[in-house]
Amino acid sequence: MLNPVDHSPASRRDQFKAAVGNVAGERRRKQAIIIGKERRDAVVRAKRMRRADDNDEGMMYDEPFSDKIINEETVRAVQELKFLFSSSSKDSSQKKIEALRKLRRLLSCSSNPPVASAVEAGVVPILVKCLEFGSSDEQLVEAAWSLTNIASGDSELTLAILPALPLLIAHLGERSAAPVAEQCAWAVGNVAGEGEQARDLLSSQGALLPLAKLLLLNKPMLVKTAAWALSNIIKGPSSKAAVELFKVDGLSEAIIRHLTKGDEELVVEIAWVVVYITSLAESQTKLLIKSGLLPPLVAWLSSSESLSLLTPVLRSVGNLVAGDNSNTDALLDAAKDLPGGLFGCLVRCLGSEHRTLQKEAAWTVSNIVAGSLQHKQLVFGSRVVPTLLHLLATSTFDVRKEAAFALGNLSVMPAGESQLPQPIMEHLSMLVERGCLPGFINLVKSPDLEASRLGLQFLELVLRGLPNGQGSKLVEKEEGLAALEVLEYHDNDDLRSMANELIDKYYGEDYGLEEEYGPGIAEVVRGGEEYPSWRKGWVVNS
Amino acid sequence: MAFEVTQILLNAQSSDGAVRRTAEENLKQFQEQNFPVFLLSLAHELANNEKPPESRKLAGLILKNSLDAKDASRKAELAQAWISLDNALKSQIKGALLMTLSSPVKDASHTAAQVIAKVAAIELPLREWPDLVGSLLSNMGTPQAQKPPGLKQATLETLGYVCEEISPEVLAQEQVNSILTAVVQGMNTSETNNDVRLAATRALYNALDFAQNNFDNEMERDYIMRVVCEATLSPDVKIRQAAFECLVSISSTYYSKLSPYMGDLFTITSKAVREDEEGVALQALEFWSSICDEEIEAQEEYGAEFSEDSEVPYFKFIKQALPALVPLLLETLTKQEENQDQEEGAWNLSMAGGTCLGLVARTVGDDIVPLVMPYVQENIAKPDWKFREAATYAFGSILEGPSLEQLTPLVQVAFNFMLNAMKDQNTHVKDTTAWTLRRIFEFLHGPNVDVPVVNQNNLSVIVEVLSEGIKDVPNVAEKICGAIYFLAQGYEGTSEPSSPLSPYIQGIIQMLLASADREDANESRLRTSAYETLNEVVRCSTEDTAPVIMQLLPAILQKLNSTLDMPVLSSEDREKQNELQASLCGVLQVIIQKLSALEITKFGILQCADQMMALLLRVFSCRNATVHEEAMLSIGALAYATGPEFAKYMQEFYKYLEMGLQNFEEYQVCAVTVGVVGDLCRSLDDKILPYCDGIMTQLLKDLSSSHLHRSVKPPIFSCFGDIALAIGENFEKYLAYAMPMLQTAAEVSAQGGGDDDELIDYYNQLRNGILEAYSGIMQGFKNTKAELMVQYASHILQFIESICDDPHRDDAVTKSAVGVLGDLADTLGSHVAILFRNSSSYQGFLQECQASDDQQLKETADWALAIISRIVSQ
Repeated sequence: MLNPVDHSPASRRDQFKAAVGNVAGERRRKQAIIIGKERRDAVVRAKRMRRADDNDEGMMYDEPFSDKIINEETVRAVQELKFLFSSSSKDSSQKKIEALRKLRRLLSCSSNPPVASAVEAGVVPILVKCLEFGSSDEQLVEAAWSLTNIASGDSELTLAILPALPLLIAHLGERSAAPVAEQCAWAVGNVAGEGEQARDLLSSQGALLPLAKLLLLNKPMLVKTAAWALSNIIKGPSSKAAVELFKVDGLSEAIIRHLTKGDEELVVEIAWVVVYITSLAESQTKLLIKSGLLPPLVAWLSSSESLSLLTPVLRSVGNLVAGDNSNTDALLDAAKDLPGGLFGCLVRCLGSEHRTLQKEAAWTVSNIVAGSLQHKQLVFGSRVVPTLLHLLATSTFDVRKEAAFALGNLSVMPAGESQLPQPIMEHLSMLVERGCLPGFINLVKSPDLEASRLGLQFLELVLRGLPNGQGSKLVEKEEGLAALEVLEYHDNDDLRSMANELIDKYYGEDYGLEEEYGPGIAEVVRGGEEYPSWRKGWVVNS
Repeated sequence: MAFEVTQILLNAQSSDGAVRRTAEENLKQFQEQNFPVFLLSLAHELANNEKPPESRKLAGLILKNSLDAKDASRKAELAQAWISLDNALKSQIKGALLMTLSSPVKDASHTAAQVIAKVAAIELPLREWPDLVGSLLSNMGTPQAQKPPGLKQATLETLGYVCEEISPEVLAQEQVNSILTAVVQGMNTSETNNDVRLAATRALYNALDFAQNNFDNEMERDYIMRVVCEATLSPDVKIRQAAFECLVSISSTYYSKLSPYMGDLFTITSKAVREDEEGVALQALEFWSSICDEEIEAQEEYGAEFSEDSEVPYFKFIKQALPALVPLLLETLTKQEENQDQEEGAWNLSMAGGTCLGLVARTVGDDIVPLVMPYVQENIAKPDWKFREAATYAFGSILEGPSLEQLTPLVQVAFNFMLNAMKDQNTHVKDTTAWTLRRIFEFLHGPNVDVPVVNQNNLSVIVEVLSEGIKDVPNVAEKICGAIYFLAQGYEGTSEPSSPLSPYIQGIIQMLLASADREDANESRLRTSAYETLNEVVRCSTEDTAPVIMQLLPAILQKLNSTLDMPVLSSEDREKQNELQASLCGVLQVIIQKLSALEITKFGILQCADQMMALLLRVFSCRNATVHEEAMLSIGALAYATGPEFAKYMQEFYKYLEMGLQNFEEYQVCAVTVGVVGDLCRSLDDKILPYCDGIMTQLLKDLSSSHLHRSVKPPIFSCFGDIALAIGENFEKYLAYAMPMLQTAAEVSAQGGGDDDELIDYYNQLRNGILEAYSGIMQGFKNTKAELMVQYASHILQFIESICDDPHRDDAVTKSAVGVLGDLADTLGSHVAILFRNSSSYQGFLQECQASDDQQLKETADWALAIISRIVSQ
């Protein structure tokens, strides 16, 4: 029966003088659920309505807010500031700080802050006024904070704060309170991020040395921000800034100390400073090495799991081995007690899940094996080679190309008097035997000129180097001849003539004719914000 | 191919335990090894007239239990097992069952009727067994070819059971017509066999739901009503009672068709109430109670504005019958039995009459007062306690329904009399007086009452009377607890730092604790009521009595501690221990909530937090569902009080949390635990992270279980949101598991519940849970992992659009949906601009919400619209 009403005596009896306990308990348990729900709603509501940063009491916009309202409010806030800082105002400093804070919160709106409206309303001159000497720390921080937010905007907005730079830089000095210095460093860093011109301006206004001096302190937050700002300024391409830093006494030691003992976030920022020094300033690099740069560097390389840390550390190591061969020796020595030594560290990066690390590690290896015969032999005997072969066969194009550079450099003698690079027979035949040829032939077929040229040069080496004409048979077998024939009609003159010559020389009627080709290959400019555009070894200087 | 099972079935009923167990074991093995032959063997046993009645009956019962179970998932399994049997085998079994109906052995035919109904319940909805109704009807014979009464009786039983099992739309109208014809013919006075008439009357009770069309047709309706009314006059009391049961059912199912018959029905029922045996008289009273239910519901349905063309029928039958009905009911009130208040489950004429009087008062309001008050005045001071009690009960019964204007002057006059009546010599009178006081406080005391019955002048007397009354026998003491409960509640919600009750709080708490401690407190649910009343007193207390509540805390902790060392020698001991622990945990929950609401008292909670937690953990180790439920609630309250500090208890507490989440059977425990996970998320924030793998695994298991009560599923979805809010981007790893569950549930809820109010309500809860999950996840990901939600955006928007278009969505769903719209735009920004540009329905929906009276909804809608317009215009 589906009758919805229960007419049983039991259900009717429950109504008779019902005990209060049953209903009350039910009601109490329901109440608990309602309380939970109310609290959930409150949390969600607060999150939805929050716009200022988490540490503040929270800026609640009960009314609907939109860009228009925020912009209007910003203009009003700027006008209020103008009035408060006008000479006629007698208002207390507390009131001024509150007004500054209000402005800063408006400029901190998470999405789409009303920076343009503030600049248009003339906020910068007032903020400059707020930065005057003798102002309270609180006022300085708030003003610098607003400037930081303005400088994080589009480039014209960044440039709008240029009038504030002298004072911002002035407050970087050692007599400023840490929060003030940090906030100013942050603003300066934002400006430096704008480009070369801004960096030059900052250097010329003397931002470098005070920032560098901040690195000497033991205040992690401050040092971190200063290092970040500094790395933005010394980026280059001119090495002037990176060199000038070292006018500060004890800088090398401070860098090494932070690199050794700092928390991970601090090490990241310091490591970026090291990246630019090792890339731009050779004698300063020597100074750092002498102060003990290498042990912490290789230690991080061997142990860190963090991509943001490994990136600058590996880049620095890459920069080092691209320099003097003695740098490589020093690195080998510094890493000798780590698992697998320096090559162990590099294999770790080559095997990383991050493509960028694989690529930078391969680039680093290619620079090591462009060095002395001894370095080539050391690498050849390590686990680096199977890893590179694997990458050449399976990885994405950019990684394959770097692996190919490394394997190529591994196969030739250090550049000597001879115009043609001489193969290291043991290395070459072994690599060919392990199946590297298809990888290089693939590169020959690539539309990337540099890769294609690299492939051709390796084929040439095989054709010329392997005894008894083995080379030509192997190349043909792996369809290298077909790849060469395609290049016979290539638009690029160099590639076309190289391919023609190889075919003529090793497969053509004019077999045996010696002709000269090759070393005059134009330097290839590599794009992007990557490791430096130059490389040692075979392709460029063979 | 059937096996001989007689001996095993007889052995299974043996008085020798060993024999019985072996037989049961054999049966179980047989069932597992060869289910089809097992069923067939049982059917043959049941059908075989040469077998002993005992084995036949048991065979039938086992068959029945192989086809149906209470538990829904088990029931579905059994149905599936039957469906997948070989058709020929099923035909054999069904044939044997139908044959059994003609058996002269009542046990066999009666059991067969039940089994047939179970098979029908599985097969008829699948359009199988089409000739069942036909073959049953052929058993009824014709005037020319009479069939044996035994077969007719068993057949009518079968028809009744079949109707009980299936829903009306399963049968074709002509089948319904022929069933009703057969049944009504069986009830007719021309049927000479009383057993057949009785079976027919009971079958009609079950078949009434199928008779919609027949009740629409005046001639058929008249005929059915005449036959039922005739049956109420049968010389056989069982037939009369069954006929009144039919009338009760008709009164609610066909309320709107009753007008022409009400005169006759009043005559029949009042005669039965006055003259017939109690079982019949009680059904006759139930008829009027049921009419009251219908009319109360009808009035609630359209509130104050009643118009003639209202869709809900309302004929004011009670108002019309009032002058005759009220005296009839008052007559019953003096038919009390001694000790009826102490007996659990007692139900007699005076109880049913008083209950009906209360319903009548709620139905007609003020009109009842002049009809009842003379009776009260005349009898309330009579020497015979039966009159005093009856008068008091009549007075108490009419306190709900009439207006305050009518009641207040009466109660002002009677109140002192009632307080004095607590000194009556008769316990029965005191019981009813205490109950009446409770109703006075419930309906005539509180901030909404202009001229309160309770005031500064009489409060001390009231408290004194209550403190005496609570020492009386348990049933009286329980009613006094009810009075205190509503006395305290009347002072709830004042923002004042003090309440008129404050000076008495200490004393009241003491008396409640003392009654809870009474040896006889397990009678009349006194202990539970005492503790729940204590809870209400604490909850409604004001700031000035915080120190008293603070003192209560150690006392309760000490009591809870001592329950752990209670000697438990019997199951009653265990029950008592559990009940006590549950009640004390309840008190703890309320105290924690109360004290942590104020900064100045919160420290008291924090100071005892370690101690409380240690105690609660020990309580958890006693395994009992109700105790776990209550202890969980205390934990939830404690976590709010301690905030992130609660993390230090998590390691030890976690296993009980997991245990609660795994408790499918006692789903209330599971539900409460899910709620506590939410509490913990809000208190611990990201400190809950280490436990989230375990919690999420368990919640996902719960959701995929077909055994878990569905009411727990919506809160689990909300809980996803709570977890995501707490752990932010770390929710990423659960996303791939949670989202498909949410999407599936969203699709289910979009099906709509049709006319089924319960289902509509459930789908609303489900949607609300899903929406809360989406909000939580999006806000959790907002700053760092927003892009993870991009792929789900269009699904979410579609889901909300389906909600916008649904007329059944409730306010909570509306509010959540508006929030999620805003969250989508706020979190995903330009990623969803195109989706919003292409969506048409959200705008109208949000504008509608902006016009709402609900301030919070309005604000949220403003916010959502602003944020969406911003991303759309970019």
